[in-house]
Amino acid sequence: MAKEARVPDIGNYQGVPVIELLVAVGDTVKADQGLVTLESDKATMEVPAPFAGVVRELKVKVGDTVSEGDLVALIEEAAPASDALPAEVGAPATPPPASAPSAPGVTPPAGTARAAQAAAPEVAPPPAPAAHAQPVAAHVPTDPTPLIPGNAPYATPAVRAFARELGVDLAKVVGSGRNGRILEDDVKAYVKRTLATPAAPAAAADGGSGVALGLLPWPEVDFAKFGPIERQPLSKIKRLSGANLARNWVMIPHVTQFERADITEMESFRKAEAQRNPDLKLTPLVFLIKAVVAALRRYPQFNASLAPGGEELVLKRYFHVGIAVDTPDGLVVPVIRDCDRKGLLELARELGEVSRKARAKKLTPADMSGGCFSISSLGGIGGTAFTPIVNAPEVAILGVSKAATEPVWNGTEFRPRLMLPLSLSYDHRVIDGADAARFAAYLAEVLGDVRRLLL
Amino acid sequence: MATIEVRVPDIGNYQNVPVIELLVAPGDTVRADQGLVTLESDKATMEVPCPVAGRVVELLVALGDTVSEGTVVARVEAVDAADATTPKAVAAPAQAAPRSTPAASATVESAPPTPASVAVPASGRAPDFECDVAVLGSGPGGYTAAFRAADLEQRVVLIERYPTLGGVCLNVGCIPSKALLHTARVIDEAAHGAAMGLRYGAPEIDLPALRAYKDKVVGQLTQGLAGMAKQRKVTRVTGTGRFVSPHEIEVETADGNKRVRFRHAIIAAGSQPVKLPGLPWGDPRLMDSTDALMLAEIPKRLLVIGGGIIGLEMACVYDALGSRVIVVELQDQLMPGADPDLVRPLEQRLRKRYGAIHLKTKVTRLEQGADGLVAHCEGPEGPLPPETFDRVLCAVGRAPNGGRIGAEAAGVAVDARGFIAVDRQLRTNVPHIFAIGDLVGQPMLAHKASHEGKVAAEVAAGLKREFVARVIPSVAYTDPEVAWVGLTEAEARARGLHVGVGRFPHAASGRAIGIGRTEGFTKLIFDEATHRVLGAGIVGPNAGDLIAEAALAIEMGAVAADIGLTIHPHPTLSESVGMAAEVYEGTITDLYLPKRR
Repeated sequence: MAKEARVPDIGNYQGVPVIELLVAVGDTVKADQGLVTLESDKATMEVPAPFAGVVRELKVKVGDTVSEGDLVALIEEAAPASDALPAEVGAPATPPPASAPSAPGVTPPAGTARAAQAAAPEVAPPPAPAAHAQPVAAHVPTDPTPLIPGNAPYATPAVRAFARELGVDLAKVVGSGRNGRILEDDVKAYVKRTLATPAAPAAAADGGSGVALGLLPWPEVDFAKFGPIERQPLSKIKRLSGANLARNWVMIPHVTQFERADITEMESFRKAEAQRNPDLKLTPLVFLIKAVVAALRRYPQFNASLAPGGEELVLKRYFHVGIAVDTPDGLVVPVIRDCDRKGLLELARELGEVSRKARAKKLTPADMSGGCFSISSLGGIGGTAFTPIVNAPEVAILGVSKAATEPVWNGTEFRPRLMLPLSLSYDHRVIDGADAARFAAYLAEVLGDVRRLLL
Repeated sequence: MATIEVRVPDIGNYQNVPVIELLVAPGDTVRADQGLVTLESDKATMEVPCPVAGRVVELLVALGDTVSEGTVVARVEAVDAADATTPKAVAAPAQAAPRSTPAASATVESAPPTPASVAVPASGRAPDFECDVAVLGSGPGGYTAAFRAADLEQRVVLIERYPTLGGVCLNVGCIPSKALLHTARVIDEAAHGAAMGLRYGAPEIDLPALRAYKDKVVGQLTQGLAGMAKQRKVTRVTGTGRFVSPHEIEVETADGNKRVRFRHAIIAAGSQPVKLPGLPWGDPRLMDSTDALMLAEIPKRLLVIGGGIIGLEMACVYDALGSRVIVVELQDQLMPGADPDLVRPLEQRLRKRYGAIHLKTKVTRLEQGADGLVAHCEGPEGPLPPETFDRVLCAVGRAPNGGRIGAEAAGVAVDARGFIAVDRQLRTNVPHIFAIGDLVGQPMLAHKASHEGKVAAEVAAGLKREFVARVIPSVAYTDPEVAWVGLTEAEARARGLHVGVGRFPHAASGRAIGIGRTEGFTKLIFDEATHRVLGAGIVGPNAGDLIAEAALAIEMGAVAADIGLTIHPHPTLSESVGMAAEVYEGTITDLYLPKRR
């Protein structure tokens, strides 16, 4: 008696194509030997033979699509003492395979044929067709999913209806009411914001799903299926900077140039000066600002922005440098103005002030606008290199990683030198690779001998 | 000549899949299984095959249109008809009117009435009624849908097989049963008067008068409906309706068959009691809930098969009228689905009054004897001694009527059990046909149906609506009443949710003591992280009325303090809701609870 081999639990996939038949009718197969190969968008997988035997019939062909529970093959069991159970026993309610309707509640047998076989003798299937079983479910447990905080938007029925009318997905709206409850005004504000967002960075307008870019939609995964989860709203800063970063990442052709600067001398000078100015925090970043200003003077295309339309370059005659500051709420980039006209100590003072303001959430929009070039320093934390994202409409950004003492060949011997890794990301539409290499090399040169700043 | 509509087949769970390529043009000859158009989902591209060989009469989609399962893609004339019959005008309109409507639903709405169906071509006959919205069934879902649609300026035809409106709920369900349950309560309260020093004699039950009272209640409501239908200019067609095409319903009326042509239809055909197979149906002593409400007699011995809400309500009525009631339930508790603790006070009361309550027991055979029906039951410990009953009520659930309305002629998918799947706008797989109420799924409750009816009517009238309610309260109008809404404790436990329960026993309520009913309690179930109320259960007098406040609190996302700090009037049973919240908060003073945190 041939038994059925069905598609086992393959996660949530429906309609997965068969890409390969691994056996033919008449083949002898071992238990767990692959019968056919399926290919979902994530992986290929084999449907194993649930038991050893001879393949009597293959029910699928290449190109068919199958889902969990679909019949793949009929296999005649090899074991002699098969108690000749009809294959249907375990699943009296099985609808004809292949065309299994998506009837709610009519679950196709989940297990493999092996499971069905094992279960059949002792356990009757739950909807036992015994004479007086209750034929209609007396109740269906309410699906509590929309009740559990974090699973469903926190909004009253009137607001839910209002959102539906405007076609707003409440999952994307952040509530301003008590404990984050979504109010009607929040829905309106969301709509206004969405309409105000220009069409180009559509990634933000459609909630970052990527559909508007002609990309695959963002994968929707019910994470709670795999274990406990918790939802946390992104901070306002994160949401705003996220949208900006996504736009910049998508629209700017980024290239990152890596370089290392020998800052042994610079550091000894800085430490000496720091001791003389104990009231100030004279950090390496201040020297980097000065060095960047020197490089921007020398390579003015780095101190520029693409004019709207992309046909002209706007060159700036001022030197305002943005400094990425990490705050508990997210990333902000205050701008220090006229860095070319300020000395190291003055810059140090200003930098300290700006950082304090940033962490106290006291930065104004004016404090964060007008930058020509940004520096993102992770040197205090670690890392050997990273690829910062250009802060549009600027055309380049300097990433700074952690300095380390390394053996450096000076032509005759290895010397311990303090080397600072630099990562220069730039907008390749504006800046050529060679210029970027020059800019980075010049930066390293200036940092290697800060006297050059005077030249 | 058979022109068939080619629809998008089952394409998995995809909705609104774009058409990326047209593989044929009107006039082309196609083979069976030849692709007509190519669809592209995010996962794959697929072709919509032509089910028959023939000639493409019309393509109903254009590049870029989005389609879902059931969307009509093309009309194809099957080949065995002479191929010279193609009218020459056919190809033109399809080309001239490229369909650029974005949504599948809109596509259908703007379509001229499609003259053909999947299986059944249109009659071509002039319809007897033409309307914007045809509603099939006039129960609480159907009449609500019809009235709402009429109020939204739609021309509405309401089709009902019985001469009175109101469906099961008004005629043979909620309303008459509640009228009888009220009678039962009066009898019971009078009997308990003795405890308060009021002695009445045993009631003299005038069965015809009782029936007349029940009929008067029903009549008042159904006549009210008829009046409102008239005021709203809803056209009523009385008779059994069946779809004959995606835009036509044929109604068998007393004056012959009438054809109703519609732009939208709302299927509200409800459900009917399940008649367990193997029982002697046809014997008048075997009743379903409808028969039981007819109150033909007061049986001395009544067997109720099914300890769910309907069975227990009718048991309650007959018990009060003097029957010795025995209840047999297959599952391990009465009213499966409710938290067991809610059912306990009811069960205790019933066990005192009834002949017996057998759980985990099934009726294996019902024998027609001369002096009654002999029931053979089998419980967890084996067969019970056979017992004779004057009447047997079978109340094991209700079966949807989805399979009885000719849905296939309209292309509406009905599952094997008779349920029709719908989306949140209550649309079936055929976007201009909606379904509501019992036949779209559990719970089969009037208040769910009426809400769905409203949504369906509003969507049909072009409003952007969907079903937004998150919880649907359930009430058993037994004595004591049992009501619950939202998350139950059992579900919370099964899902491992972190919840806390505030429970207030009615024994601590002055009002409950005053009316001599202290067996009940009110409990609220809260999310421990946010203190938001997620569920409630109440057992006791008027639990069904009290549960409404909890339903509102859940929908509004109220936290425990919102409920506890709302001043509830004293002395009422409604206080118990506020007090349950206070128990959870630890601020209760009407009880002494040892410190729990």
